[in-house]
Amino acid sequence: MTPFLEIAGLSRHFGSFVAVRDVNLEIRKGEFMTFLGPSGSGKSTTLYALAGLDTPTSGNIRIEGKSILDVPPHRRNIGMVFQRYTLFPHLTVAENVGFPLSVRRRPAAEIAAKVGRMLELVRLQDFAQRKPGQLSGGQQQRVALARALVYEPPVLLMDEPLAALDKKLREEIQCEIRRIHRETGVTILYVTHDQEEALRLSDRIAVFSKGVIDQIGTGAELYENPATRFVAEFIGDSDFLPCDVLAVRDGLASIGLSGGLAVDGVPLHGNPAAGKAELMLRPERISLSRAMPASGPALPAVIGDLTFLGSHLQVAAATLDGRALSVRLPFGHEVVGSLARGDEVWLSFRPADACAFCSAQGGS
Amino acid sequence: MLLHWDKLGWWRWVLLAVTILTAVFLLLPILFIAALSFGSSQWLIFPPPSWTLRWYDELFADPSWLDAAWTSFKIAVVVALLSVLIGTLAAFGLVRGRFRGREALKAFFLTPMILPVVVLAVALYAFYLRVGLDGTVTGFVLAHLVVALPFSILSIGTALEGFDKSIEDAAVLCGATPLEAVLRVTLPAIASGLFSAAIFSFLASWDEVVLAIFMASPSLQTLPVKIWGTLRQDLTPVVAAVSTLLIALTLVLMLLVSLARRFAKSS
Amino acid sequence: MPQATALVGPSRGQRRTSLLLALPALSLLIVFFALPVLALLLRSVLEPAPGFSNYVTLLGSSTYSRILVNTFTVSAVVTVVTLLIGFPTAWALALMPPIWSRLVFGVLLLSMWTNLLTRTYAWMVLLQRTGVINRTLIDLGIIDQPLPLVNNLTGVTIGMTYIMLPFVILPLYGVIRRIDPAILQAAALCGATRAQAFRRVLLPLVMPGIAVGGLMVFVMSLGYFVTPALLGGTANMMLAELIAQFVQSLVNWGMGGAAALVLLSVTLSLYTLQLRLFGTSGLGGR
Repeated sequence: MTPFLEIAGLSRHFGSFVAVRDVNLEIRKGEFMTFLGPSGSGKSTTLYALAGLDTPTSGNIRIEGKSILDVPPHRRNIGMVFQRYTLFPHLTVAENVGFPLSVRRRPAAEIAAKVGRMLELVRLQDFAQRKPGQLSGGQQQRVALARALVYEPPVLLMDEPLAALDKKLREEIQCEIRRIHRETGVTILYVTHDQEEALRLSDRIAVFSKGVIDQIGTGAELYENPATRFVAEFIGDSDFLPCDVLAVRDGLASIGLSGGLAVDGVPLHGNPAAGKAELMLRPERISLSRAMPASGPALPAVIGDLTFLGSHLQVAAATLDGRALSVRLPFGHEVVGSLARGDEVWLSFRPADACAFCSAQGGS
Repeated sequence: MLLHWDKLGWWRWVLLAVTILTAVFLLLPILFIAALSFGSSQWLIFPPPSWTLRWYDELFADPSWLDAAWTSFKIAVVVALLSVLIGTLAAFGLVRGRFRGREALKAFFLTPMILPVVVLAVALYAFYLRVGLDGTVTGFVLAHLVVALPFSILSIGTALEGFDKSIEDAAVLCGATPLEAVLRVTLPAIASGLFSAAIFSFLASWDEVVLAIFMASPSLQTLPVKIWGTLRQDLTPVVAAVSTLLIALTLVLMLLVSLARRFAKSS
Repeated sequence: MPQATALVGPSRGQRRTSLLLALPALSLLIVFFALPVLALLLRSVLEPAPGFSNYVTLLGSSTYSRILVNTFTVSAVVTVVTLLIGFPTAWALALMPPIWSRLVFGVLLLSMWTNLLTRTYAWMVLLQRTGVINRTLIDLGIIDQPLPLVNNLTGVTIGMTYIMLPFVILPLYGVIRRIDPAILQAAALCGATRAQAFRRVLLPLVMPGIAVGGLMVFVMSLGYFVTPALLGGTANMMLAELIAQFVQSLVNWGMGGAAALVLLSVTLSLYTLQLRLFGTSGLGGR
């Protein structure tokens, strides 16, 4: 079966700089897909290629099996919301939303009806006759959303639409976007550098780093099974400890940590040829106890700083060879009340919760 | 301290006095001419012995004044239209273009602004004598266009730079063709820039004397040339009447521009 | 993500289109501006015979060098006077309550926008022997005989000062408005008296505006034609008039071209200096 939207081998070079390298992606109809990555990672460039505002150096983009690369942007029938408020400053809100229908030469009655329905969808019925300059940033982005949806495009692109808004407004509009996605069933491609926003909104997330997609998956998959160190670092908090790869079997490795501790059954990513790797632990998956646990791998450590953060306690600990580890203990944990700076404790974890990433050849 | 009006101490009164004197200095000649145009003295004595509309009657009775004004108007309107048209194209090319030599081209487009007009006038005069454009409306229009165009390019270019190109991209993604997006979204959004370009170009041509003195022929002269020729002979009060009408026109144009600014700000 | 949009480069086709858009303006300015001016300058070394004889005459003759000296003197005096009047005015305009400043700006713009000949004519009338200024001075008993205020360089200087004043006030106003008033409060808190704060803080901060405005007025004055011609009379010529006279009355294109080159090279080198020192020429120079 052909996928609804397919990006195949997409690359974009600017002179000697490679902005996007061999991106492959398949998106289902009605899916909410987020491109997540730091700025300059190629996510926006990929989106602009989809919109037709930029021409890729190589590769193809297909919607329902047909390449859209030769279709000029105004005939692609794709909706887009930009980071900056791109409302037409000389038109009213209603005229802005009606613009796509007006350039499609639709009858006035149909335009009026659809504009009304759209403004209802974004809850701005009362602002129809205002000019964009009289609206707040959040309202302007909702108008832009209505304008991008009014002609019922099969695909909606959003390029960091909430980046210019403050946190509270951002969360409010995130809810709106989710509701609108649910109500319209439109396929959404969403670009953001904010991992929380990506987790909150998306069905699936593609993590971009240095022009390539490191991993595609649901938020839970990315969190539980990060494919690269970059993904592990970018999504959620993480601790890293250097280690040696002793043996590998079925994707599970036996590793050796400094101090002679060996751990079996750790999921391994990358090429173990160099023999060096880094062990990744999630701070909330680390257990802390005063006595050495009877079973399972455990590291002796010294408590540094203790920070109370409401629902949990953030513990900064250091291993005996001076590696910093962050541990998150739920409030109410047995030892929380008695912990103090300088205490010697044991940190233990389940091998299946950890993850090892092989260092690149030559190390970095 | 020095930049707070109410904390300047006695310095404030010095500054205020200079400002009032400056304002009087700037306003006085204009008020004075307007008053004299209604005065009866042939020798422009002030205060005039009595008030009269005689100089206006003389002005409107002389067809050569009206002809000159009409010629000036025609030329200025054509110059304004062409200047906005060519200036818009050039501004798009300069602002949107990413080609080598863009900065040099920009500088070249603006040089007529800083070049002493008399040099251009003499140079064009020689050129026109050779190609037979001297004393023609076309010659006038082209000469004035050279002076007006930099104002257009500057004013439209500035407006275009202040316009977020993503807005035009959004229009294209909404289904508008690139041309449609420019015509329906970009141009209306920079309308105030186009408007000031038109006004500046009109005035650049309408008020232009130096080029006109060299381009004019006995059968074709603009209003400034007519005033210039008259002033070289005597200081007749008829010129005061013409001047007063020109001052009134200036006031109207200033009003129009400030209205346009206000309109642009509110939208 | 702004840098991503900036990354979206134009294709070769777009590059051709933008050049094509600039083509009408470019061809107009080449045919009706660049080539005629170049041709005029060439004539200065080709007519009547190839060589630099025109320049030798121009710079060697006492008549012509007096005109050059006149031109530079008048321009320099106009520059200094406009700055002396313009700085306090711009300073006051930047601080005074908006209702007043709007009024003064109205006057400023009205004067700037009024036809140049109208303004010059007004000064011809005001400054003539029987004009208001002389009569007032006589009536007040300050003078017995009317002062010769017109048809000499005094008249030119007064008229030019009037015309150039807005070109100093506007840029200075802009510069003063952009200075954070808190800086001067800080100077006062550091113990500076008003005079010290003025000389050591405000003046250095306003200096770029003074330089730009002054240079602009000086350069514009050098090449001014209309006002000197009408207020100076035939005996007190300035450079622009000389160029016109060479061409119109004397039909000496070689000398006209030479005088034009002198004016042009001074003008352009001063503008280049300004660009070097202060960077922008507008239109995206930010």
